[in-house]
Amino acid sequence: MESLLKDKNKLAWLLITPGVLLLPFVFGKGFYLNTMNFISLHAMVAVGLCLLVGYGGQLSISHSAFFAIGAYASAIFCLRYHLPPLISILLSQGLSALLAWGIGWVVLRLKGHYLAIATLSFTIIVEVLVKEMAWLTGGLQGLSSIPSISIGGFMIDSDYRFYFVVWPLTMLLLLFSLNLVDSRMGRIFRAIKENEDIARQFGADVKVYKIKLFIVSSVYASIAGSLYAHFVTFISPVTGSIMFAIDIIMVLAFGGFTLLWGAMIGVASLTFLNEYLTIFADFKRAIYGLALVIIILLFPNGLLLGLRDFGNRIFLFIAEGRKKHASA
Amino acid sequence: MLQLNGVSKDFGGLRALSDVTLNVREGQIKGLIGPNGAGKTTLFNLITGVFPPSGGSITFLGEETTHQNPEKISRLGISRTFQQPHLFKSLTVWENVMMGRHYRTRAEFFACGLRLPKATREEKDIRKQSLEYLNLFGLTDKKDRVASKLPLGEQRYLEVARALATEPKLLLLDEPTSGLNDHETEQFRDLLLKIKGVGVTLLVIEHHMRFIMGLCEEIAVLNFGAKIAEGSPQEIQVSPEVITAYLGTEESID
Repeated sequence: MESLLKDKNKLAWLLITPGVLLLPFVFGKGFYLNTMNFISLHAMVAVGLCLLVGYGGQLSISHSAFFAIGAYASAIFCLRYHLPPLISILLSQGLSALLAWGIGWVVLRLKGHYLAIATLSFTIIVEVLVKEMAWLTGGLQGLSSIPSISIGGFMIDSDYRFYFVVWPLTMLLLLFSLNLVDSRMGRIFRAIKENEDIARQFGADVKVYKIKLFIVSSVYASIAGSLYAHFVTFISPVTGSIMFAIDIIMVLAFGGFTLLWGAMIGVASLTFLNEYLTIFADFKRAIYGLALVIIILLFPNGLLLGLRDFGNRIFLFIAEGRKKHASA
Repeated sequence: MLQLNGVSKDFGGLRALSDVTLNVREGQIKGLIGPNGAGKTTLFNLITGVFPPSGGSITFLGEETTHQNPEKISRLGISRTFQQPHLFKSLTVWENVMMGRHYRTRAEFFACGLRLPKATREEKDIRKQSLEYLNLFGLTDKKDRVASKLPLGEQRYLEVARALATEPKLLLLDEPTSGLNDHETEQFRDLLLKIKGVGVTLLVIEHHMRFIMGLCEEIAVLNFGAKIAEGSPQEIQVSPEVITAYLGTEESID
Protein backbone atom coordinates (compact mmCIF):
# COMPACT_ATOMS: atom_id res chain seq x y z
CA MET A 1 0.00 0.00 0.00
CA GLU A 2 2.78 2.36 1.00
CA SER A 3 4.69 1.82 -2.23
CA LEU A 4 1.49 1.71 -4.25
CA LEU A 5 0.44 5.06 -2.83
CA LYS A 6 3.78 6.49 -3.78
CA ASP A 7 3.41 5.18 -7.29
CA LYS A 8 -0.15 6.46 -7.52
CA ASN A 9 0.99 9.95 -6.63
CA LYS A 10 3.85 9.86 -9.07
CA LEU A 11 1.66 8.37 -11.77
CA ALA A 12 -0.90 11.12 -11.27
CA TRP A 13 1.86 13.70 -11.45
CA LEU A 14 3.31 12.18 -14.60
CA LEU A 15 -0.12 12.20 -16.27
CA ILE A 16 -1.31 15.60 -15.13
CA THR A 17 1.87 17.60 -15.77
CA PRO A 18 1.96 17.08 -19.56
CA GLY A 19 -1.82 17.53 -19.60
CA VAL A 20 -1.55 20.93 -17.99
CA LEU A 21 1.35 21.97 -20.20
CA LEU A 22 -0.52 20.94 -23.37
CA LEU A 23 -3.65 22.87 -22.44
CA PRO A 24 -2.78 26.07 -24.36
CA PHE A 25 -2.15 24.02 -27.50
CA VAL A 26 -5.58 22.42 -27.26
CA PHE A 27 -7.65 25.46 -26.33
CA GLY A 28 -5.47 28.14 -27.90
CA LYS A 29 -4.79 31.52 -26.38
CA GLY A 30 -7.51 33.17 -24.41
CA PHE A 31 -8.50 34.81 -21.20
CA TYR A 32 -8.67 31.46 -19.43
CA LEU A 33 -4.83 31.41 -19.53
CA ASN A 34 -4.82 34.40 -17.21
CA THR A 35 -7.06 32.49 -14.78
CA MET A 36 -4.84 29.44 -15.09
CA ASN A 37 -1.76 31.51 -14.26
CA PHE A 38 -3.36 32.77 -11.08
CA ILE A 39 -4.39 29.23 -10.20
CA SER A 40 -0.77 28.23 -10.57
CA LEU A 41 0.52 31.06 -8.37
CA HIS A 42 -2.04 30.39 -5.69
CA ALA A 43 -1.41 26.65 -5.89
CA MET A 44 2.23 27.26 -4.96
CA VAL A 45 1.15 29.05 -1.82
CA ALA A 46 -1.49 26.43 -1.02
CA VAL A 47 0.90 23.50 -1.48
CA GLY A 48 3.43 25.21 0.79
CA LEU A 49 0.80 25.86 3.44
CA CYS A 50 -0.49 22.30 3.10
CA LEU A 51 2.99 21.00 3.96
CA LEU A 52 3.11 23.15 7.07
CA VAL A 53 -0.46 22.74 8.30
CA GLY A 54 -1.52 19.36 6.96
CA TYR A 55 1.70 17.49 7.54
CA GLY A 56 3.51 19.52 10.19
CA GLY A 57 0.40 20.48 12.14
CA GLN A 58 1.52 24.12 12.52
CA LEU A 59 -1.35 26.46 11.63
CA SER A 60 0.17 29.62 10.23
CA ILE A 61 -1.62 32.69 8.86
CA SER A 62 1.55 34.30 7.59
CA HIS A 63 1.64 33.04 4.04
CA SER A 64 0.12 36.18 2.58
CA ALA A 65 2.88 38.13 4.32
CA PHE A 66 5.56 35.99 2.71
CA PHE A 67 3.77 36.37 -0.63
CA ALA A 68 3.96 40.15 -0.12
CA ILE A 69 7.59 40.00 0.99
CA GLY A 70 8.48 37.96 -2.10
CA ALA A 71 6.62 40.41 -4.33
CA TYR A 72 7.93 43.62 -2.76
CA ALA A 73 11.50 42.43 -2.26
CA SER A 74 11.82 41.35 -5.86
CA ALA A 75 10.18 44.55 -7.16
CA ILE A 76 12.41 46.71 -4.97
CA PHE A 77 15.61 44.90 -5.97
CA CYS A 78 14.55 45.43 -9.57
CA LEU A 79 13.32 49.02 -9.46
CA ARG A 80 15.64 50.57 -6.88
CA TYR A 81 18.81 48.57 -7.40
CA HIS A 82 18.30 47.82 -11.09
CA LEU A 83 19.03 44.15 -10.76
CA PRO A 84 17.74 41.81 -13.48
CA PRO A 85 14.38 40.19 -12.53
CA LEU A 86 15.76 36.66 -12.27
CA ILE A 87 18.48 37.75 -9.84
CA SER A 88 15.94 39.80 -7.88
CA ILE A 89 13.66 36.79 -7.58
CA LEU A 90 16.47 34.60 -6.30
CA LEU A 91 17.67 37.23 -3.81
CA SER A 92 14.11 37.68 -2.54
CA GLN A 93 13.86 33.98 -1.75
CA GLY A 94 17.04 34.25 0.29
CA LEU A 95 15.59 37.21 2.15
CA SER A 96 12.29 35.40 2.76
CA ALA A 97 14.09 32.31 4.00
CA LEU A 98 16.11 34.43 6.40
CA LEU A 99 12.99 36.19 7.68
CA ALA A 100 11.11 32.90 7.99
CA TRP A 101 14.00 31.53 10.02
CA GLY A 102 13.88 34.50 12.38
CA ILE A 103 10.10 34.51 12.71
CA GLY A 104 9.91 30.74 12.99
CA TRP A 105 12.56 30.71 15.69
CA VAL A 106 10.37 32.99 17.79
CA VAL A 107 6.80 31.91 17.05
CA LEU A 108 7.15 28.15 16.63
CA ARG A 109 7.55 27.75 20.37
CA LEU A 110 3.81 28.42 20.41
CA LYS A 111 1.20 25.86 19.52
CA GLY A 112 -2.29 25.76 18.08
CA HIS A 113 -4.29 28.97 18.42
CA TYR A 114 -1.38 30.87 19.93
CA LEU A 115 0.76 30.10 16.91
CA ALA A 116 -2.07 31.16 14.60
CA ILE A 117 -2.43 34.47 16.44
CA ALA A 118 1.33 35.11 16.48
CA THR A 119 1.65 34.48 12.74
CA LEU A 120 -1.44 36.60 12.12
CA SER A 121 0.23 39.47 14.00
CA PHE A 122 3.26 39.11 11.76
CA THR A 123 0.99 39.37 8.73
CA ILE A 124 -0.57 42.54 10.12
CA ILE A 125 2.85 44.03 10.85
CA VAL A 126 4.02 43.35 7.31
CA GLU A 127 0.86 44.91 5.90
CA VAL A 128 1.31 48.03 8.01
CA LEU A 129 5.00 48.32 7.11
CA VAL A 130 4.20 47.99 3.43
CA LYS A 131 1.70 50.84 3.73
CA GLU A 132 3.83 53.10 5.90
CA MET A 133 7.31 52.72 4.42
CA ALA A 134 6.26 54.65 1.33
CA TRP A 135 9.84 55.70 0.49
CA LEU A 136 10.61 52.04 -0.17
CA THR A 137 7.31 50.40 -1.04
CA GLY A 138 5.38 53.23 -2.63
CA GLY A 139 2.87 53.12 0.21
CA LEU A 140 -0.77 52.91 -0.82
CA GLN A 141 0.12 53.68 -4.43
CA GLY A 142 2.20 50.55 -4.59
CA LEU A 143 4.94 49.91 -7.11
CA SER A 144 4.32 49.89 -10.83
CA SER A 145 6.27 49.27 -14.03
CA ILE A 146 8.00 46.27 -12.54
CA PRO A 147 9.98 44.73 -15.38
CA SER A 148 8.88 41.36 -16.71
CA ILE A 149 11.12 38.36 -16.35
CA SER A 150 13.40 37.91 -19.31
CA ILE A 151 15.17 34.65 -20.00
CA GLY A 152 18.09 35.18 -22.36
CA GLY A 153 16.48 38.26 -23.88
CA PHE A 154 13.12 36.50 -24.24
CA MET A 155 10.50 38.55 -22.38
CA ILE A 156 7.91 36.72 -20.33
CA ASP A 157 5.32 39.41 -20.82
CA SER A 158 2.12 37.67 -21.91
CA ASP A 159 -0.30 35.22 -20.30
CA TYR A 160 0.75 32.65 -22.84
CA ARG A 161 4.47 32.94 -22.13
CA PHE A 162 4.06 33.22 -18.36
CA TYR A 163 2.01 30.05 -18.43
CA PHE A 164 5.08 28.05 -19.45
CA VAL A 165 7.16 29.55 -16.66
CA VAL A 166 4.75 29.31 -13.79
CA TRP A 167 3.12 25.93 -14.39
CA PRO A 168 6.32 23.87 -14.74
CA LEU A 169 7.57 25.53 -11.56
CA THR A 170 4.36 24.80 -9.66
CA MET A 171 4.40 21.19 -10.79
CA LEU A 172 8.05 20.84 -9.76
CA LEU A 173 7.33 22.32 -6.35
CA LEU A 174 4.40 19.91 -6.03
CA LEU A 175 6.67 17.01 -6.96
CA PHE A 176 9.20 18.17 -4.37
CA SER A 177 6.43 18.20 -1.76
CA LEU A 178 5.10 14.80 -2.80
CA ASN A 179 8.62 13.38 -2.47
CA LEU A 180 9.15 15.11 0.82
CA VAL A 181 6.01 13.80 2.53
CA ASP A 182 6.81 10.29 1.39
CA SER A 183 10.22 10.18 3.06
CA ARG A 184 11.77 10.13 6.50
CA MET A 185 11.08 13.87 6.66
CA GLY A 186 7.39 13.42 5.89
CA ARG A 187 7.07 10.77 8.55
CA ILE A 188 8.75 12.92 11.16
CA PHE A 189 6.39 15.82 10.39
CA ARG A 190 3.33 13.63 10.76
CA ALA A 191 4.80 12.26 13.97
CA ILE A 192 5.41 15.80 15.26
CA LYS A 193 1.87 16.77 14.31
CA GLU A 194 0.53 13.86 16.28
CA ASN A 195 2.72 14.00 19.37
CA GLU A 196 5.80 16.16 19.73
CA ASP A 197 6.91 14.57 22.98
CA ILE A 198 7.00 11.06 21.59
CA ALA A 199 8.69 12.28 18.42
CA ARG A 200 11.44 13.79 20.59
CA GLN A 201 11.92 10.48 22.32
CA PHE A 202 12.72 9.04 18.93
CA GLY A 203 15.58 11.40 18.43
CA ALA A 204 13.75 14.08 16.46
CA ASP A 205 15.02 17.59 17.05
CA VAL A 206 11.45 18.92 16.88
CA LYS A 207 12.29 22.61 17.21
CA VAL A 208 14.76 22.55 14.34
CA TYR A 209 12.47 20.50 12.09
CA LYS A 210 9.56 22.85 12.64
CA ILE A 211 11.67 25.87 11.74
CA LYS A 212 13.02 24.20 8.61
CA LEU A 213 9.52 23.25 7.51
CA PHE A 214 8.34 26.78 8.18
CA ILE A 215 11.16 28.17 6.02
CA VAL A 216 10.43 25.82 3.10
CA SER A 217 6.71 26.48 3.34
CA SER A 218 7.15 30.27 3.51
CA VAL A 219 9.53 30.28 0.56
CA TYR A 220 6.84 28.56 -1.54
CA ALA A 221 4.62 31.58 -0.86
CA SER A 222 7.46 33.97 -1.46
CA ILE A 223 8.33 32.45 -4.86
CA ALA A 224 4.70 32.87 -5.90
CA GLY A 225 4.81 36.49 -4.69
CA SER A 226 7.93 37.31 -6.69
CA LEU A 227 6.56 35.76 -9.85
CA TYR A 228 3.29 37.63 -9.33
CA ALA A 229 5.13 40.96 -9.12
CA HIS A 230 6.95 40.43 -12.41
CA PHE A 231 3.88 39.01 -14.12
CA VAL A 232 1.31 41.63 -13.14
CA THR A 233 4.04 44.33 -13.07
CA PHE A 234 2.10 46.22 -10.42
CA ILE A 235 1.83 45.54 -6.70
CA SER A 236 0.05 47.33 -3.87
CA PRO A 237 -0.69 46.60 -0.20
CA VAL A 238 -3.72 44.58 -1.38
CA THR A 239 -1.29 42.07 -2.92
CA GLY A 240 -0.49 40.33 0.34
CA SER A 241 -3.36 41.33 2.54
CA ILE A 242 -4.78 39.18 5.33
CA MET A 243 -7.74 38.33 3.11
CA PHE A 244 -5.35 36.46 0.85
CA ALA A 245 -4.08 34.41 3.81
CA ILE A 246 -7.65 33.50 4.66
CA ASP A 247 -8.42 32.65 1.03
CA ILE A 248 -5.57 30.16 1.04
CA ILE A 249 -6.77 28.56 4.26
CA MET A 250 -10.20 28.38 2.62
CA VAL A 251 -8.57 26.53 -0.27
CA LEU A 252 -7.20 23.91 2.12
CA ALA A 253 -10.49 23.67 3.96
CA PHE A 254 -12.06 22.93 0.61
CA GLY A 255 -9.45 20.57 -0.83
CA GLY A 256 -8.29 18.86 2.33
CA PHE A 257 -5.66 19.89 4.80
CA THR A 258 -3.69 16.68 4.60
CA LEU A 259 -3.69 16.20 0.87
CA LEU A 260 -1.26 17.97 -1.46
CA TRP A 261 -3.43 17.19 -4.48
CA GLY A 262 -6.36 18.56 -2.50
CA ALA A 263 -4.57 21.90 -2.33
CA MET A 264 -4.33 21.92 -6.14
CA ILE A 265 -7.96 20.92 -6.60
CA GLY A 266 -9.06 23.42 -3.96
CA VAL A 267 -7.29 26.31 -5.69
CA ALA A 268 -8.66 25.37 -9.10
CA SER A 269 -12.25 24.99 -7.90
CA LEU A 270 -12.32 28.15 -5.84
CA THR A 271 -10.69 30.25 -8.53
CA PHE A 272 -13.22 29.14 -11.12
CA LEU A 273 -16.04 29.72 -8.65
CA ASN A 274 -14.67 33.23 -8.12
CA GLU A 275 -14.55 33.91 -11.83
CA TYR A 276 -18.04 32.72 -12.60
CA LEU A 277 -19.91 33.75 -9.48
CA THR A 278 -19.20 37.43 -9.93
CA ILE A 279 -22.86 38.17 -9.29
CA PHE A 280 -22.14 37.45 -5.67
CA ALA A 281 -19.01 39.60 -5.60
CA ASP A 282 -20.31 41.83 -2.84
CA PHE A 283 -21.29 38.93 -0.65
CA LYS A 284 -18.30 36.77 -1.51
CA ARG A 285 -16.51 37.26 1.81
CA ALA A 286 -19.66 36.58 3.77
CA ILE A 287 -20.41 33.43 1.79
CA TYR A 288 -16.82 32.23 2.14
CA GLY A 289 -16.82 32.90 5.85
CA LEU A 290 -20.03 30.99 6.37
CA ALA A 291 -18.86 28.14 4.16
CA LEU A 292 -15.56 27.94 6.04
CA VAL A 293 -17.33 27.62 9.39
CA ILE A 294 -19.69 24.95 8.09
CA ILE A 295 -16.91 22.96 6.43
CA ILE A 296 -14.68 23.03 9.51
CA LEU A 297 -17.58 21.94 11.70
CA LEU A 298 -18.73 19.10 9.45
CA PHE A 299 -15.47 18.03 7.81
CA PRO A 300 -12.47 19.05 9.91
CA ASN A 301 -10.13 17.38 7.40
CA GLY A 302 -11.47 19.41 4.51
CA LEU A 303 -14.52 19.21 2.28
CA LEU A 304 -13.21 16.85 -0.40
CA LEU A 305 -11.60 14.42 2.05
CA GLY A 306 -14.70 14.60 4.21
CA LEU A 307 -17.01 13.87 1.29
CA ARG A 308 -14.80 10.98 0.22
CA ASP A 309 -14.94 9.44 3.70
CA PHE A 310 -18.67 10.09 3.86
CA GLY A 311 -19.10 8.37 0.49
CA ASN A 312 -17.05 5.41 1.65
CA ARG A 313 -19.19 5.06 4.74
CA ILE A 314 -22.42 5.12 2.75
CA PHE A 315 -20.97 2.57 0.34
CA LEU A 316 -20.01 0.29 3.25
CA PHE A 317 -23.43 0.79 4.81
CA ILE A 318 -25.17 -0.27 1.62
CA ALA A 319 -22.79 -3.19 1.10
CA GLU A 320 -23.43 -4.38 4.66
CA GLY A 321 -27.15 -4.08 4.14
CA ARG A 322 -26.98 -6.16 0.97
CA LYS A 323 -24.97 -8.84 2.73
CA LYS A 324 -27.47 -9.01 5.56
CA HIS A 325 -30.30 -9.11 3.08
CA ALA A 326 -28.63 -11.90 1.13
CA SER A 327 -27.95 -13.99 4.23
CA ALA A 328 -31.52 -13.51 5.44
CA MET B 1 25.96 1.41 32.26
CA LEU B 2 23.16 3.52 33.73
CA GLN B 3 23.67 5.14 37.11
CA LEU B 4 21.19 7.12 39.13
CA ASN B 5 22.74 8.86 42.13
CA GLY B 6 20.38 10.14 44.80
CA VAL B 7 17.74 11.15 42.28
CA SER B 8 14.69 13.03 43.57
CA LYS B 9 11.67 14.51 41.87
CA ASP B 10 9.09 16.90 43.29
CA PHE B 11 5.83 17.76 41.59
CA GLY B 12 4.80 20.96 43.32
CA GLY B 13 4.72 19.96 46.97
CA LEU B 14 4.52 16.26 46.22
CA ARG B 15 7.70 14.25 46.47
CA ALA B 16 7.41 11.56 43.78
CA LEU B 17 10.92 10.21 44.18
CA SER B 18 13.39 10.73 46.98
CA ASP B 19 17.06 9.91 46.89
CA VAL B 20 16.88 6.93 44.56
CA THR B 21 20.20 5.32 43.72
CA LEU B 22 20.09 2.67 41.05
CA ASN B 23 22.65 0.95 38.90
CA VAL B 24 21.92 -0.98 35.72
CA ARG B 25 24.81 -3.12 34.53
CA GLU B 26 25.47 -3.81 30.89
CA GLY B 27 23.85 -6.97 29.56
CA GLN B 28 21.46 -7.58 32.45
CA ILE B 29 17.68 -7.65 32.67
CA LYS B 30 16.79 -5.55 35.66
CA GLY B 31 13.33 -5.43 37.17
CA LEU B 32 11.68 -2.45 38.80
CA ILE B 33 8.65 -3.22 40.94
CA GLY B 34 6.54 -1.46 43.51
CA PRO B 35 2.92 -0.70 44.35
CA ASN B 36 0.93 1.75 42.23
CA GLY B 37 2.15 5.31 42.61
CA ALA B 38 5.58 4.25 43.85
CA GLY B 39 7.26 6.43 41.21
CA LYS B 40 8.37 3.80 38.70
CA THR B 41 7.12 5.58 35.59
CA THR B 42 8.42 8.90 36.94
CA LEU B 43 11.84 7.27 37.13
CA PHE B 44 11.58 6.28 33.45
CA ASN B 45 10.58 9.82 32.56
CA LEU B 46 13.66 11.14 34.37
CA ILE B 47 15.96 8.68 32.64
CA THR B 48 14.61 9.58 29.20
CA GLY B 49 14.69 13.31 29.87
CA VAL B 50 10.95 13.99 29.70
CA PHE B 51 11.54 16.22 32.73
CA PRO B 52 14.70 16.90 34.77
CA PRO B 53 15.14 15.58 38.33
CA SER B 54 14.82 17.99 41.26
CA GLY B 55 18.01 16.59 42.72
CA GLY B 56 20.69 13.99 42.10
CA SER B 57 22.36 12.99 38.88
CA ILE B 58 21.98 10.45 36.09
CA THR B 59 24.81 9.14 33.95
CA PHE B 60 24.60 6.81 30.98
CA LEU B 61 27.74 5.16 29.59
CA GLY B 62 29.87 7.61 31.51
CA GLU B 63 28.04 10.64 30.11
CA GLU B 64 26.00 12.86 32.37
CA THR B 65 22.41 13.00 31.09
CA THR B 66 20.73 14.64 34.09
CA HIS B 67 19.59 17.76 32.24
CA GLN B 68 19.78 16.52 28.66
CA ASN B 69 16.70 16.74 26.46
CA PRO B 70 14.86 13.61 25.26
CA GLU B 71 16.19 13.75 21.69
CA LYS B 72 19.81 13.77 22.88
CA ILE B 73 19.24 10.95 25.34
CA SER B 74 17.54 8.77 22.77
CA ARG B 75 20.49 9.34 20.46
CA LEU B 76 22.83 8.06 23.17
CA GLY B 77 21.02 4.73 22.93
CA ILE B 78 18.11 4.68 25.37
CA SER B 79 14.71 3.72 24.02
CA ARG B 80 11.47 2.97 25.79
CA THR B 81 7.90 1.77 25.65
CA PHE B 82 4.97 3.22 27.55
CA GLN B 83 2.45 1.94 30.05
CA GLN B 84 -0.37 2.86 27.69
CA PRO B 85 1.04 2.33 24.20
CA HIS B 86 1.96 5.71 22.72
CA LEU B 87 2.18 4.82 19.08
CA PHE B 88 1.92 7.34 16.29
CA LYS B 89 -1.72 6.45 15.85
CA SER B 90 -2.32 7.94 12.44
CA LEU B 91 0.79 6.35 10.94
CA THR B 92 0.72 2.80 9.66
CA VAL B 93 2.28 -0.08 11.58
CA TRP B 94 5.21 -0.09 9.19
CA GLU B 95 5.69 3.68 9.38
CA ASN B 96 5.80 3.48 13.16
CA VAL B 97 8.78 1.16 13.00
CA MET B 98 10.33 3.34 10.28
CA MET B 99 10.13 6.20 12.79
CA GLY B 100 12.39 4.11 14.98
CA ARG B 101 15.03 4.30 12.24
CA HIS B 102 14.74 8.08 12.11
CA TYR B 103 17.83 9.20 13.93
CA ARG B 104 19.89 6.39 12.49
CA THR B 105 19.47 8.00 9.09
CA ARG B 106 20.62 11.32 7.69
CA ALA B 107 18.81 12.50 4.54
CA GLU B 108 17.57 16.07 5.03
CA PHE B 109 14.96 18.24 3.29
CA PHE B 110 16.56 18.71 -0.08
CA ALA B 111 17.90 15.19 -0.35
CA CYS B 112 14.39 13.84 0.37
CA GLY B 113 12.48 16.35 -1.76
CA LEU B 114 14.79 15.98 -4.74
CA ARG B 115 15.05 12.20 -4.29
CA LEU B 116 18.84 12.31 -4.39
CA PRO B 117 20.39 8.85 -4.75
CA LYS B 118 21.62 9.03 -1.16
CA ALA B 119 18.09 9.57 0.16
CA THR B 120 16.58 6.86 -2.06
CA ARG B 121 19.18 4.35 -0.93
CA GLU B 122 18.61 5.26 2.69
CA GLU B 123 14.82 5.00 2.33
CA LYS B 124 15.22 1.55 0.85
CA ASP B 125 17.34 0.52 3.83
CA ILE B 126 14.83 2.00 6.27
CA ARG B 127 12.03 0.00 4.71
CA LYS B 128 14.01 -3.21 4.61
CA GLN B 129 15.30 -2.98 8.17
CA SER B 130 11.95 -2.00 9.65
CA LEU B 131 10.34 -4.96 7.87
CA GLU B 132 12.80 -7.21 9.68
CA TYR B 133 11.65 -5.85 13.02
CA LEU B 134 8.01 -6.34 12.02
CA ASN B 135 8.86 -9.92 11.07
CA LEU B 136 10.40 -10.55 14.46
CA PHE B 137 7.09 -9.60 16.08
CA GLY B 138 4.87 -11.32 13.56
CA LEU B 139 3.32 -8.06 12.39
CA THR B 140 4.37 -8.23 8.75
CA ASP B 141 0.94 -8.95 7.32
CA LYS B 142 -0.54 -6.03 9.25
CA LYS B 143 2.12 -3.55 8.19
CA ASP B 144 -0.21 -1.28 6.22
CA ARG B 145 -2.84 -0.97 8.91
CA VAL B 146 -3.18 2.24 10.83
CA ALA B 147 -1.47 1.65 14.17
CA SER B 148 -4.50 2.63 16.27
CA LYS B 149 -6.50 -0.21 14.67
CA LEU B 150 -4.30 -2.92 16.20
CA PRO B 151 -5.49 -4.86 19.27
CA LEU B 152 -3.72 -3.91 22.50
CA GLY B 153 -1.37 -6.90 22.55
CA GLU B 154 -0.07 -6.13 19.09
CA GLN B 155 0.23 -2.45 19.94
CA ARG B 156 2.62 -3.50 22.70
CA TYR B 157 4.61 -5.62 20.27
CA LEU B 158 4.70 -2.74 17.85
CA GLU B 159 6.00 -0.39 20.54
CA VAL B 160 8.83 -2.77 21.33
CA ALA B 161 9.55 -3.19 17.61
CA ARG B 162 9.68 0.58 17.18
CA ALA B 163 11.95 0.97 20.20
CA LEU B 164 14.25 -1.81 18.99
CA ALA B 165 14.46 -0.26 15.54
CA THR B 166 16.46 2.58 17.09
CA GLU B 167 19.13 -0.03 17.95
CA PRO B 168 19.16 0.96 21.61
CA LYS B 169 21.83 -0.09 24.08
CA LEU B 170 19.32 0.17 26.91
CA LEU B 171 15.63 -0.59 26.51
CA LEU B 172 13.12 0.58 29.12
CA LEU B 173 9.85 -1.34 29.19
CA ASP B 174 6.93 0.04 31.19
CA GLU B 175 4.58 -2.80 32.17
CA PRO B 176 4.96 -4.70 28.92
CA THR B 177 2.63 -7.54 29.89
CA SER B 178 -0.34 -5.60 31.22
CA GLY B 179 -3.37 -6.52 29.17
CA LEU B 180 -1.71 -9.62 27.73
CA ASN B 181 -3.03 -13.15 28.42
CA ASP B 182 -0.87 -15.94 29.85
CA HIS B 183 0.10 -17.32 26.49
CA GLU B 184 1.08 -13.90 25.16
CA THR B 185 3.03 -13.19 28.34
CA GLU B 186 4.94 -16.42 27.84
CA GLN B 187 5.77 -15.40 24.27
CA PHE B 188 6.83 -12.01 25.47
CA ARG B 189 9.32 -13.52 27.89
CA ASP B 190 10.99 -15.48 25.07
CA LEU B 191 11.11 -12.32 23.03
CA LEU B 192 12.78 -10.31 25.79
CA LEU B 193 15.35 -13.06 26.28
CA LYS B 194 16.02 -12.93 22.55
CA ILE B 195 16.46 -9.16 22.76
CA LYS B 196 18.87 -9.60 25.65
CA GLY B 197 20.67 -12.19 23.53
CA VAL B 198 21.59 -9.59 20.92
CA GLY B 199 23.25 -7.46 23.58
CA VAL B 200 20.50 -5.06 24.64
CA THR B 201 20.30 -4.23 28.33
CA LEU B 202 16.76 -4.15 29.73
CA LEU B 203 15.10 -2.32 32.57
CA VAL B 204 11.54 -3.57 33.07
CA ILE B 205 8.69 -2.18 35.17
CA GLU B 206 6.19 -4.92 35.95
CA HIS B 207 3.28 -5.80 38.16
CA HIS B 208 3.16 -9.38 36.98
CA MET B 209 5.27 -10.95 39.74
CA ARG B 210 5.76 -14.43 38.35
CA PHE B 211 6.82 -12.93 35.03
CA ILE B 212 9.38 -10.57 36.53
CA MET B 213 10.76 -13.06 39.06
CA GLY B 214 11.40 -15.56 36.27
CA LEU B 215 12.92 -13.00 33.93
CA CYS B 216 15.23 -10.75 35.90
CA GLU B 217 18.60 -11.36 37.48
CA GLU B 218 18.17 -8.38 39.73
CA ILE B 219 15.17 -6.46 41.00
CA ALA B 220 14.79 -3.08 42.67
CA VAL B 221 11.69 -2.26 44.70
CA LEU B 222 10.24 1.23 45.00
CA ASN B 223 7.65 2.30 47.55
CA PHE B 224 6.40 5.86 48.07
CA GLY B 225 9.22 7.16 45.91
CA ALA B 226 12.06 5.49 47.79
CA LYS B 227 14.02 2.38 46.99
CA ILE B 228 13.28 -0.10 49.76
CA ALA B 229 15.10 -3.17 48.47
CA GLU B 230 17.36 -4.42 45.74
CA GLY B 231 18.70 -7.89 45.00
CA SER B 232 18.07 -11.21 43.32
CA PRO B 233 14.45 -12.38 42.98
CA GLN B 234 15.01 -14.82 45.85
CA GLU B 235 16.26 -12.07 48.16
CA ILE B 236 13.39 -9.79 47.20
CA GLN B 237 10.76 -12.41 47.93
CA VAL B 238 11.90 -12.83 51.53
CA SER B 239 12.69 -9.18 52.22
CA PRO B 240 10.51 -8.03 55.13
CA GLU B 241 10.24 -4.46 53.73
CA VAL B 242 8.91 -5.73 50.45
CA ILE B 243 6.40 -8.01 52.13
CA THR B 244 5.21 -5.10 54.23
CA ALA B 245 4.88 -2.84 51.19
CA TYR B 246 2.80 -5.42 49.45
CA LEU B 247 0.84 -6.41 52.55
CA GLY B 248 -2.68 -7.35 51.72
CA THR B 249 -1.72 -8.42 48.22
CA GLU B 250 0.33 -11.37 49.37
CA GLU B 251 -1.00 -13.70 46.69
CA SER B 252 0.57 -11.60 43.98
CA ILE B 253 4.02 -12.16 45.43
CA ASP B 254 4.26 -15.88 44.72
